[in-house]
Amino acid sequence: MTNTQIFETVKENVLKVLPDLRPGDVTAEGTLTDLGANSVDRADVVTMSMEDLGLTVPVSEFQEVHDIRSLVDLLARHS
Amino acid sequence: MRVVVTGMGIVCSIASTVPSFTRALRAGRCGIGPVPDPGDGGPRLAALVKGFRFKDAVAARHRLPEETRRGALRAASRSPEPLQMDLVAAMQAFEQAGLHEAKADPERMGLVVAGHNLSSGYAHDLHPKYEDNPAHLPARFALHFMDTDRVGTLSQVFGIRGEGYTVGGASASGNVGIINAGRLVESGAVDVCLVVGAMTDLSPMEKRGLATLGAVAGVEEPNKARCRPFDEDHEGFVPGQGAGCVVLESARSAAARGATALAELCGYDLKLDANSLPDPREEGEAKVMVNAMANAGVGARDIDYVNAHATATPSGDLAELAALRRALGDSFGRPWVNSTKGLVGHCMCAAGVVEAIATVVQMRHGFVHPNLNLRHPINDDCRLAPGRLRDADIRYALSNSFGFGGFNTCIVLGRER
Repeated sequence: MTNTQIFETVKENVLKVLPDLRPGDVTAEGTLTDLGANSVDRADVVTMSMEDLGLTVPVSEFQEVHDIRSLVDLLARHS
Repeated sequence: MRVVVTGMGIVCSIASTVPSFTRALRAGRCGIGPVPDPGDGGPRLAALVKGFRFKDAVAARHRLPEETRRGALRAASRSPEPLQMDLVAAMQAFEQAGLHEAKADPERMGLVVAGHNLSSGYAHDLHPKYEDNPAHLPARFALHFMDTDRVGTLSQVFGIRGEGYTVGGASASGNVGIINAGRLVESGAVDVCLVVGAMTDLSPMEKRGLATLGAVAGVEEPNKARCRPFDEDHEGFVPGQGAGCVVLESARSAAARGATALAELCGYDLKLDANSLPDPREEGEAKVMVNAMANAGVGARDIDYVNAHATATPSGDLAELAALRRALGDSFGRPWVNSTKGLVGHCMCAAGVVEAIATVVQMRHGFVHPNLNLRHPINDDCRLAPGRLRDADIRYALSNSFGFGGFNTCIVLGRER
């Protein structure tokens, strides 16, 4: 699975959780918080993406995530 | 301090708003129908809400500020549907009470959600996902499985910052909520209180459990079964989906805000029966009716109408009519008596609120809705409403709710002059 594919999955879920956003708003450099996601929204994006990608990442590892790119990288390491 | 009703909202099997509920009650429309056989011996009849779309139901509340509608979509678009129905009912009530125009102090507004074990069906539906991989449970599950999610979400949408909580009393939960909210207003803790009769999302296992106790109609022969309150052939209740909301408010606050009082909560009583069983008992039921009338300062001869608990279980219907005879004495045959459950099924935790709304509607529009499927009444002395619409002049009404585990409740509603 490429990072691009993982990014597309994350993006899709960000748009599901935050339906007011436009697709172009979601970039690898951006953060979920800046896009308006609250703490549970962010956790939802993570669980939904893990399910779509068929991955399991321990909850503690998400502490290192600071933007969408680092989220994609973490998911990629477990793919 | 007088407590009045200034707003009402409903989503149930026969209506999606109070005006459509009024028409459905007049017409004696029945929302009960067969459901696919769960294959576990559980209920095969239900009164389901049909065609509910949250987005459309929110858009229909166009008199509310766009900010409120957007807040509702943002807070609850991915919530379980039962919460969405509660929210829509509350939006209707909030709008009717005019709380979006003549606002109340947020810290003087309360929220009581009546009900418990509200989301078992939701948890049941997620169980396969949990079995497959627990890490894939939605993050929101931790919020959504809690009954108090209804309190949190609704308080966010309406900006309620006063007292709030859930209350429970099995099938009497709706009345328990109304009584608690009435007390919050009377005590001066709040000026306005939303009471939400919460949509109860039973899991198949729970429905099967109720069937095991013999409380449910149509388990054997759904095609022949009906919900038949007060009929010799009554055989149990039919589960119904429903959410209701009433806004209770001090008469002073309503007057200050220029809100119309739709009815008055004149009195009430809630007593336990020291009885853990599902068995209804005449004495305890009669006691709350007598106490509620005394609390309201009205006598038995003042009661024009009784919205009975009447789930259509044989023991429940018999006990309630015996209790009513005991409570009303010589006036037993005077008030009209009907059961809204024959039309909307048993809305479980929401039933008391749904039936309080039905009572206020009949009071304001001067009619009693039909008792459906009543061919051979179990009592000839009681003035049971017939199978067709009757005009009725209702000044005072009782609305009963009783719950498994000995929760006996009665409220007295009065027409505003």
